[in-house]
Amino acid sequence: MVHALEEIKRSLGPNGTLIDLRPLADRWPVEVTTVEAVHETGRLTDLPAGLSDDEAANSAMEETARLGWFIRQEEHIFQMYIYWDDPQEMSTYMSERWADFVKLETETLQATQLAWEETNEEKHVRIQMKMLLTRWRK
Amino acid sequence: VFMPIQKDPEGTETMHLLGLTGIANKNVLEIGCGDGRLTWRYASSASRVAAIDPEGVTLQTAIQALPSGLRGVASFACASSLSLPFPPATFDTAILAWSL
Repeated sequence: MVHALEEIKRSLGPNGTLIDLRPLADRWPVEVTTVEAVHETGRLTDLPAGLSDDEAANSAMEETARLGWFIRQEEHIFQMYIYWDDPQEMSTYMSERWADFVKLETETLQATQLAWEETNEEKHVRIQMKMLLTRWRK
Repeated sequence: VFMPIQKDPEGTETMHLLGLTGIANKNVLEIGCGDGRLTWRYASSASRVAAIDPEGVTLQTAIQALPSGLRGVASFACASSLSLPFPPATFDTAILAWSL
């Protein structure tokens, strides 16, 4: 990871900017939404590999600062949403793509399906993802 | 397998990215572009974008989905951040797009 950051430093001109944009594990809420309401049905479980990835990334950036490669300038934490057409599609996606770092517990899926079935309005299911955006200067 | 999924339809990520980074008229390297989802959202502000990803299959999706208005602005390469195929001091800004 630090070697990759050294490569990036090489590719940047003087006073170049490095943007680190990534999700942060934080037991992301699962929500069923309608035009009028948002119903949180549970939270995802962070798995050890996901937490380790965050720690490794943070450590690598701190190492580049220690080495004098990059200077931290500004950091934003914000939320963004990912939507699926229904709870089953969300569950399938997570088990196929995200199984290494988060888990959708059975109880949360059941609560989500229940909330889904209880409304006849136009609805979506989504997760609220915590995001980190940091600007570093070379 | 096609999965109906919408990532950040509100544009929150793009708003923060453009607000914090000053991409306008910059020569940008995007690392981990995947299918180009994020690239399309900021590339029109940049001078040029070189987007790389080590996964050839998802990169092909990005290449095929390249909006006509971004031809000449955005280019793609299958590459790893461990060995960037660019000369030193090529870029003004590098974006680690969910890839650190």
